[in-house]
Amino acid sequence: MGKRDKRDKEERKAKKAKREEIEYEEEDTQDVNVKDGVPESATRHAEELEQAAEDEFGAKDFRKSLELKPDHASRPLFIGPNGHIFLESFSPVYKHAHDFLIAISEPVCRPEHIHEYKLTPYSLYAAVSVGLQTTDIIEYLRRLCKTSLPDGIIEFIKLCTLSYGKVKLVLKHNRYYVESQYPEVLQKLLKDPVIQDCRKRDEMDEAGDDQFIAGEVSGTTGENGEPVPDDIHDFYTKIDNEEEDEDEAQLKTVSFEVKQENIETIQKRCIELEYPLLAEYDFRNDTINPDINMDLKPSTVLRPYQEKSLRKMFGNGRARSGVIVLPCGAGKTLVGVTAACTVRKRCLALATSGVAVEQWRSQFKMWSTIDDNLICRFTSDAKDKPMGCSVCISTYSMLAHSTKRSWEAEKMMEWLQSQEWGIMLLDEVQTIPAKMFRRVLTIVNAHCKLGLTATLVREDDKIADLNFLIGPKLYEANWMELQNNGFIAKVQCAEVWCPMTPEFYREYLQMKSMKKLLLYAMNPNKFQACQFLIRYHERRNDKIIVFADNVFALKHYAITLNKPYLYGPTSQGERLQILQNFQHNPKVNTIFVSKVADTSFDLPEANVLIQISAHGGSRRQEAQRLGRILRAKKGAVAEEYNAFFYSLVSQDTMEMQYSLKRQRFLVNQGYSYKVITKLAGMDEEENICYRSKEDQVGLLQKVLAATDTDAEEEGVPGASGSGMVRRTGNMSSMSGADDALYMEYKKKSGNAHPLFKRFRR
Amino acid sequence: MAAAFTPRKLDCKDLHSYLKTLPSPVLDRLYNHPATCLAVFRELPDLGRQYVMRTLFVEQPVSQAVIGQWVNNKFINDHRYACKALTELRVWYEQPIPGGQPGWVLNQTFRNNTRVALLGGGKPWIGGRSTTVDKYAKDILFLDKYAQERWECVLHFMVGSSEGIEGVSRDIIEVLNNSGLMRVDATDPNPTITPAGFQFLLMDTASQVWYFMLQYLETVEHRGMDLVECLSFLFQLSFSTLGQDYTTDGMSESQLKFLQHLREFGLVYQRKRKSQRYYPTCLAINLASGLSNVSTGQEKTGFIIVETNYRVYAYTDSPLKIALLAIFCDMLYRFPTMVVCNLSRTSVREALIRGITAEQILNFLRSHAHPKMLADTPVLPPTITDQVRLWELERDRLKFNDGVLYSQFNSQADYELLSDYAKDLGVLVWENATKRVMVVTKSGHDDVKKFWKRQKNS
Amino acid sequence: MVNVTKGVLVECDPAMKQFLLHLDEKNALGRKFVIQDLDDTHLFISSDIIEILQTRIDDLMDKLSFPLAEK
Repeated sequence: MGKRDKRDKEERKAKKAKREEIEYEEEDTQDVNVKDGVPESATRHAEELEQAAEDEFGAKDFRKSLELKPDHASRPLFIGPNGHIFLESFSPVYKHAHDFLIAISEPVCRPEHIHEYKLTPYSLYAAVSVGLQTTDIIEYLRRLCKTSLPDGIIEFIKLCTLSYGKVKLVLKHNRYYVESQYPEVLQKLLKDPVIQDCRKRDEMDEAGDDQFIAGEVSGTTGENGEPVPDDIHDFYTKIDNEEEDEDEAQLKTVSFEVKQENIETIQKRCIELEYPLLAEYDFRNDTINPDINMDLKPSTVLRPYQEKSLRKMFGNGRARSGVIVLPCGAGKTLVGVTAACTVRKRCLALATSGVAVEQWRSQFKMWSTIDDNLICRFTSDAKDKPMGCSVCISTYSMLAHSTKRSWEAEKMMEWLQSQEWGIMLLDEVQTIPAKMFRRVLTIVNAHCKLGLTATLVREDDKIADLNFLIGPKLYEANWMELQNNGFIAKVQCAEVWCPMTPEFYREYLQMKSMKKLLLYAMNPNKFQACQFLIRYHERRNDKIIVFADNVFALKHYAITLNKPYLYGPTSQGERLQILQNFQHNPKVNTIFVSKVADTSFDLPEANVLIQISAHGGSRRQEAQRLGRILRAKKGAVAEEYNAFFYSLVSQDTMEMQYSLKRQRFLVNQGYSYKVITKLAGMDEEENICYRSKEDQVGLLQKVLAATDTDAEEEGVPGASGSGMVRRTGNMSSMSGADDALYMEYKKKSGNAHPLFKRFRR
Repeated sequence: MAAAFTPRKLDCKDLHSYLKTLPSPVLDRLYNHPATCLAVFRELPDLGRQYVMRTLFVEQPVSQAVIGQWVNNKFINDHRYACKALTELRVWYEQPIPGGQPGWVLNQTFRNNTRVALLGGGKPWIGGRSTTVDKYAKDILFLDKYAQERWECVLHFMVGSSEGIEGVSRDIIEVLNNSGLMRVDATDPNPTITPAGFQFLLMDTASQVWYFMLQYLETVEHRGMDLVECLSFLFQLSFSTLGQDYTTDGMSESQLKFLQHLREFGLVYQRKRKSQRYYPTCLAINLASGLSNVSTGQEKTGFIIVETNYRVYAYTDSPLKIALLAIFCDMLYRFPTMVVCNLSRTSVREALIRGITAEQILNFLRSHAHPKMLADTPVLPPTITDQVRLWELERDRLKFNDGVLYSQFNSQADYELLSDYAKDLGVLVWENATKRVMVVTKSGHDDVKKFWKRQKNS
Repeated sequence: MVNVTKGVLVECDPAMKQFLLHLDEKNALGRKFVIQDLDDTHLFISSDIIEILQTRIDDLMDKLSFPLAEK
């Protein structure tokens, strides 16, 4: 092709790109944003370390830098100089290697035979924070690897881990301190102007309190009889003036106080300076905050992966802050409840919606021995009295609310802020816009933060933020493993290709507005496929949820097919009725929902999901939706598929591309989408809508008459990050009647769950 | 026009289809050799073999009606198929029985030599064994390795990798060029691989050798060699024993020359050009079985893992295997014993554009699947097979055919006259009688035009 | 009388046909190329447009696809 042709083609492409009306801006944030607020070692990505030449086929050729071990066949992995690790799942030592790799690296993809992981500064940071040492990491990797370790990798690991774990962020008496055994480190940190700004100076005299010094310090006070200064100011001048004090100072922990509103800044800055702040909570020795009488019920049984994830969190007898990643339906809430029962201090749980708040409450009651009265909900319509409560459950938007609150809510907020929380449980962390998240974290003080999520991918914001805001990823489950063990349903994913009818496609090609979206959502062939699939599964006595982000399509499909539907504006009473009917009424087997149901609804009965319109190329939404049907089905270990996920896609439209984008996360978890180009039996099925040309044209007229607003998706808080929180009230009104609150101080409960003991030691 | 978008599929004939292209005198001469007769006999349909056995000692024509009655009516199709095969291969031919009824009689040459092959007697028809002991005797392991190396040289040469340059003789290059597997163009002195060549590469070794030999046999007469002698020798080789050495005594000039070529291809091992003994390799022994029941014993265990996320891992350090994968995969990383690659739409499309079919790609992946993959049924993840096929279909969504549009007929009669004529000729590709519009193929246009002119003038 | 035009018969699915008609109507390839719209799945077009048309269709298909595998 000539140069001119090529340029023409590019120009054409560029023009076309401009005309692309429906654009879901999406960045692969992990890649794009690394440079922002990341340690230098992180920007020095492992990938840049390697300078492997390309072979004649364009592959990076690692052969020269790697020496094959004679017994390579019995070792399970390859490590490239770029930090990518390939693990054979069929190796006899797979299990050992797998647990180790999860601790030190990020899983990239985990299909059946060979899993790919990647070493990143964050993953190594996480490894250090769960107690692994630099030398251990290198040595163990060396043993697992089929070849010699690339030099660059050894260096990279050292670089990323040696300085980690030296500085801690500690909450004492509702104040934050940066603490370290290494004065020179703090000294170095304090030379940094950003950190200087974060430091709280005005209350220095109070800060000079003995309590700031950890136990080991007491013996070293000697010499001049001065109380050992934790305050870094003292320490600082001391270091400046006298060198002889240094030896002594190293034995001490030294610290300085930080302004609460600057916590995030300092965390971020410390990572940049390659001294990430570890957040650990020594809850057993916390005598200031009262213990709470709350244990797991004896009947509560944890699954192996839940236990494993908690072991990462409580590995050294303290509570580490961080994120646990489990697929939807795998029992994240139980992990949260167990963590709270282990810490046994005041607990604040934050969820995404009022419905979820109710679900958390019932889960606390189901799994733990906590007294009902000790649980307090704080939502726009359920404001239990907080006094004396031990577990408070609320929503992110409730806490982050920045406009005027009612007097009652105002009081509640004051109380929340005045408390020193032992543990903060953060549900669905990945869905919360970073801004809202930050606000929440600066308002409330917690010793330990546990984030729970199904996917650490997000298209709209920086996932790396979670590292500063909460802590490293502590555990990430393998979806396929859980599926094969029957802990989550075995789902058949399918992408159903629905050809656009000529009339619809013609309009689609000419349409220049958001209504393009409407045309592919309303494609008569898609409608037929949806109708057929519903009938097919209803005959099998399945329970079906149909998802449509677009409200116009949602209503039209549901009304035409005479099925109940719910979306943002649906009233509380109606929602409850629909959901109850779906659960208990054998005549209601299909419901249509908008994206309000992406995360907030737990529908354990549903085993079929049909998606007719979705939010662009969001990997996260796809994973969350799949989660709606993941809760394990009766019959545990399934040989056959026991749940079905259909994504209906209008062929030759942008939906095709979105669909592929959406699938990436799940495909990397080992799911595979079957492409269905023709639904068997559909042509023979009788009474399917929009078969005739006239009906199809009629439908087209309706679509063309719709307004641009109709074409928009429903706005839901948290989804777009644009501050559209107006519907929170509606959603939380799902919660039902207020519970009366009794103030009662608990009796001693003799039941201690064995596991609970294990974590407390 | 259309050809530019749909490269032809490589047509690999089996033994039967090859032999049937030979003129009958050649076939008759071929049957002079018991080895040929046995090879042909082996490849006959089951019923065909049965008929040969029954008539082998019947020295006169047998009534077709009688033979027809040997078979239950349910298997009439098998019967017809067998009869057709026997006729095409001139194993038998029609001759009326006394009384004029149609009958079949076995080809006398074939009859005689098949008897020899099956029952013994006559001259030994498998090459003569050496009478002396070879000081440099070679074992089967060596021969297998030798054959594989020789053959891979050819393949290396085709993919243009550096390993294949030496050891590929002019004869081989000639065959590759003549057969259209490779092509020399004006700009490059070295031949480059063609779409057909890519398809060739993805076939299994036995099919490759067979296809290559067929192409080679096309050229033997130009080389001044006798086709029948070469073929007979080839068949004779296929009945020899692996690991045994044979003597070149008594071989004709043609056959000796042929032997040298076989040596270049790796079908026989001969320590020196002038050496009086040779060892057939597995490539030669597997040959005459053609394609129908290829023994792939010499294929190594599989090395390819295909994952549901479009990853392909290949446990190999063979540049040839990697080069083959690179035809339809994006290559990512190369470790000492493994390569990591992706099947992507782009990479597969490139292969499709080169004329490789989705089925060939899948077949390659399937036939080299790692033992871990073989535990699954199907071996390849269905998502992957589906997707590769869909990528192929995507390229076929529009079919373009040159044609000529006839419209604005004055009368329905005119229209029908012309459309009927075009239909009879089989050149009408689209029509609409109510609109009086029709399309005929480009090649059919001249005839239809002439017909129209004739009609108008008359 | 009969009118005779040389060109290319295109056979495709109805949606693809709409795409070709769209390109024709909008002069997207610089000129008109559809000689006659035959039926839902057939068009008769001028033969010298095939090459550019083919690249245009490839463009469309490229746009609808997205690489699934991580690099």
